[in-house]
Order: sequence, then C-alpha cells, then structure tokens
Amino acid sequence: MNNVNPVISARNLQKSYGHGTVKSEVLKGLEIDVRKGEFLAIMGPSGCGKSTLLYVLGLMTPQDGGTVDIEGTTVPSGEQVRTFIRRNTIGFVFQRFNLISSLSGEDNIKISLKVRGMAENGRTAAVMEQLGIMEAAKRKPSEMSIGEQQRFAIARAMAHDPAIIMADEPTGNLDRGNTEKLLVSFREIHESRNHTILMITHDPHVASCTDRILYMADGRLHKSETQPS
Amino acid sequence: MNLPIANIRHHKSRSLLSSSGIAIAVCMLVAMTGLSRGSLYEIAERMESVDAELIVVPHGVSDSIPTLGGMKLYENIAPKLEKEFPDLVQKAVPVFICSLKLGGQDQRVMAISPDNWRIFSKSHNLAEGRLFDPENRFGRWLEKVKKTAADSSDDDPVELTRKDLSNPSHNGLELVIDQRLAAAGNYRCGQTVTAANQTWTVTGIAETGVTTRVFMPIRTAQQLFGVGDITKCTMIFIKLRPLASGMTPGQAAQKIRSAFPLDIMPMSDYRGALEQKFGILFTYVDIVNIIALLIAFLFVTSTLYTMVLHRAREIAILKSCGASTAFTVSQVLYESAILTAIGTAFGIAGSFAAAWLIETWQPLLTVEISLKWISLAVAAAVTGSFLSAIYPAWSAIKTDMVEAMRYE
Repeated sequence: MNNVNPVISARNLQKSYGHGTVKSEVLKGLEIDVRKGEFLAIMGPSGCGKSTLLYVLGLMTPQDGGTVDIEGTTVPSGEQVRTFIRRNTIGFVFQRFNLISSLSGEDNIKISLKVRGMAENGRTAAVMEQLGIMEAAKRKPSEMSIGEQQRFAIARAMAHDPAIIMADEPTGNLDRGNTEKLLVSFREIHESRNHTILMITHDPHVASCTDRILYMADGRLHKSETQPS
Repeated sequence: MNLPIANIRHHKSRSLLSSSGIAIAVCMLVAMTGLSRGSLYEIAERMESVDAELIVVPHGVSDSIPTLGGMKLYENIAPKLEKEFPDLVQKAVPVFICSLKLGGQDQRVMAISPDNWRIFSKSHNLAEGRLFDPENRFGRWLEKVKKTAADSSDDDPVELTRKDLSNPSHNGLELVIDQRLAAAGNYRCGQTVTAANQTWTVTGIAETGVTTRVFMPIRTAQQLFGVGDITKCTMIFIKLRPLASGMTPGQAAQKIRSAFPLDIMPMSDYRGALEQKFGILFTYVDIVNIIALLIAFLFVTSTLYTMVLHRAREIAILKSCGASTAFTVSQVLYESAILTAIGTAFGIAGSFAAAWLIETWQPLLTVEISLKWISLAVAAAVTGSFLSAIYPAWSAIKTDMVEAMRYE
C-alpha cells in the first residue's frame, strides 16, 4: 500500500457493540491508509464492519481502541474537536439520502452550510449546477425522483468543499440508470475538485469505477486492489 | 431558510395540536382569572359608586359586610349620627339588604327610601321607567299603620295581607333593576315578576353601574324580610361633608366610632373586605389555572419529545454535518418558542372571545381581561416553553448518529 500523503490513516482500530457477554467485536485491529485525492471503494460481505469503519473514520462514533489520523493529525477523543474536524473536513452521503423532509432540496444544502458556520456565497447554486439538479431546487424530497434525492445528498456533502467525502452504499437504493449517473457525478467531483472519496459498496461494478478497492472481512482489511487507470 | 419554521409548516397537525394545547391553557388562565376577578371587582366597583364615604354596621360584623343582610342595626342611629356629628355627617342613610331570586339566581337587593335614590344611583340614571314608590306612599302608609298599632297598645304584630302590599295606591311591591339583570332575565318596564311569594312590578331599569342589581322600598323589605320590624336596617351609609384639610374618611370614621360602639368602615376598604371574603375563590381559580398550564406544557414536552424521536435521523444528519450542541439545542428551543408564541397569541385572542361569549350568554357575569394577567400568561408560557423544551433538547443532543442511521 502506498502511504504517501495519507489523508486518512488508522492504526489498530477496534470497535465493538453491545456490552457484557453479548458484546460483538466489529473492528479487530484494522489498519488503513487513504491517500489524498484517492477515490476508494471498500467492499465486503454484510456484517463485516464496513459501515462501522466508515462511521469511525468519519468521526461519527469513537473507536474503542487504536488511532485515527485525519490530514496528518491524530484525532483526540474529545467530542468538541471531533465535531470540529467532522464539520470542516468531511462530507457524508448515505444510502437512504437522508434529506430533511421539511426543507426543499436547495435548503437542505444551505442548512448544511449554516450548521458549518459557512457563508453561502453562491456555493449552493454552484454544486446544484455541477450536479444538474437546479430544476429540482425548490422541491421537497418527497417531490423528487430517487436519483435527484441522491444527487442533492451528494451536493450537500460537497457544498462546503470538504477534503473527504464518505459515502455509505450510495447506490444501494438506485436502479442501474441512476447508479450510472451517480458514478459519473462522483467521478466528475473527484476529478474537478480532487476530493478524497471513500465509498462503501456491495456492487462490484460500482467499485470498479474507483481508483482502488479494499476488501474487508471479519473486522479487518485483507486485500487491496488498485484499478487500472 | 429556517428549519424550525419549516418543520412547523411541514408537520401541520402536530404543530396545531401543540399550539392548541398552549392556547387552551393561556385562554383558561386569562379568561378564568378575568371571570373570577371581573365578577368580584364589578361588585366592588358598583359599591364604590355609592355617593357615600363610610359604611356603619354593628360592632364585630365588619368582616362580613359583603354578605351582610337582614336586621342588624336600629335605623334611628342614622338621625343620631347626623345630630351628633353635624360638622362631619351630611347624611346617614339606612339600608336593608335582602335577596330575591331574579334572572335565574339570587340577587342581592338594596332596600332604600326612595328619597335616597340619588345616593345609590350617583351618576347613573334610570334608563327606562320610574323609581319604585316615588312618593314613598307605602312607607308613609306602613309607618302610620305601625304607629296606630303601637298607640293602641296592641302587642300582636301588624299582619299585612298580600292585598295591602300590592295595593296600587301604596306601590309597595315595586322594583328597580339594572340593565344587566333586565337583559339576563329579559325583563321590561311594567312587567310583573314573581319572587319571594309576591308579585312585583318592575317600574324602572337603571343604567348598568348602579350600586346593586335590584332596589326596592325599605319599608317593603322590612315588612317582608324583617318580620315586620320597621325600626331595623342592615347597615347605614354615611355621606360626609367636605372634610377638613388633611382629614381622611378613616379618621372621620374613628372620630364617629369614639361616640358610637359600631364598626365603621371607609368605602375604600370595601374592595379589600370583598377580596378577603372571597379570596378562596381566587386561590381555587389560580390552582386550576396552574394545573391547566402544567398539563399544557407536559403536552408540549411530549410533543417535542416525540418530534425529537421522530426526527432522530434528521438530527443525526445535522450532527454528521458537524452541528454543535448549541445549534441542536437552539433548533428545539426555537421550535418550542414558535409553537408557544402561536399558542399564546391564539390563547389571548381566545380569552377575549370567551369573555364576549360569557358576557353575551350570562349577562350577569363580568369577565375583566387585564393586561396584568395577559402579561402573567405570556410569562408563564415563555417559562413553560423553555422548561418543556429542555428534556427534548437534551434528548436531541444525546442522539446517537450511528444508532439513528443504523436502520437504513
């Protein structure tokens, strides 16, 4: 594995859920390095800990053991600092899009900027333009197609121009056509903005569109496969 | 773009229910206190409209002045007071207080000599009709009958028949009522009404604001409700002469009291006596209001908490975007504040509507919507909304992002 300029680096990651005798170990000393600007897919069977790995690397939940470095800095355990890093450095895309139902598509993007304390400065229009969703700007999620919802979710994740975008099975709810459109969007974002993209997927076709695929099983990464450019 | 406002608009039924809970509580608070205090203060205001400064009652009963009735005091004390304190007392007016069931409820009746009508009507005129027994024929006739009986040394009390009382030449069974009682009972001038086993004629309708709702001749009341003893009254009102510089009605009362072993209360103390007598009513209403407010805010807490649970995923999304604790809390508090503001506004508007409805359907009741109680209701609503949002806000902060996303 090439360790030059890792934007994310984790060592001996351990995470378990539950407590007492029903404790389930999900990450078992996992190690990972993600290079800056890399488009990376993580694949593996259900329950192998892919989503947990994403949540730990995305600082949404603390690891039980090991360290996570983001942009060369070891993330401390304090929630305030973790929130600060998550706010400024990471953007999330989820399988079920998770747009706020009471807000229009445009406002879903704007509120993510507001939460981050960032000035709007035309960022919303710019990302909507890039993702081709200007027409649906005023519509609420319930009035959008599945594909539009997912593109708004991506727009929200990238509006603040984060160093890292993390996507948890973003094509899981999409048909083939929308999946293709989404992959095109991801590639464009990756190429135009040089975001580091970390994507969990079940779909080998989706994974094949990335720079590198990491295979995970039983709480550990066991294989890395660089895609031919 | 404002998330709490968007949420309120998006979840209309939930928002309407929450605001309605607050509106009902605020309406109850303002309207019920307005009703209890309004009705009582209206009595006080009417009493304060009497053109007299002091009330005289037998010693030891001043605490009961608001409910006093019947034979309590010799009527001849009135001329004695005028004679004893000519520099202080301009007029001493005996009043007999009794009750008659009119307009569907017992009415406090002031029985006075028609000569003293101006003392009790003050600036209020008769809107219709005439005063009861305006020439005091019945009074003079009864006094003559009683005197004849006394002169003949006949120990038996004078028995008057119904015919004697209702004799048109005496005008004994005549009443003057106020406009609100006329509206409540749908009474008109010249109409006869039955009460206390007698048939009375409503001879006049006085403007709202006169001392009491029903007036009758004092001799009639003494004969019917004072077992025929025309020497006794319930209380005496004293109209003072212009007081010497620096002298208060209280000091005048003290001076008179030194010569007469009676309770003499300045009219200005009447409101306090009324509040003391019926203060328990205020306590009861206040307790009911507090319970109503608590229920309303438990309802809001429950609604907000449900909202937090229902929107756990949205809160998790905001947190995944890096929402700070302050931002998350502010969203819940802001939403609670908006719901409270809407509910409070509708509650206050509702209390005015309730006041209008109550006074229209029950003209004898008075609902006094005061700025003080509106302010208290707003303060209670603001405090309640803040307190009721604390637990839901705390739950929002504690939302586990991973848990909230897990059921994807």
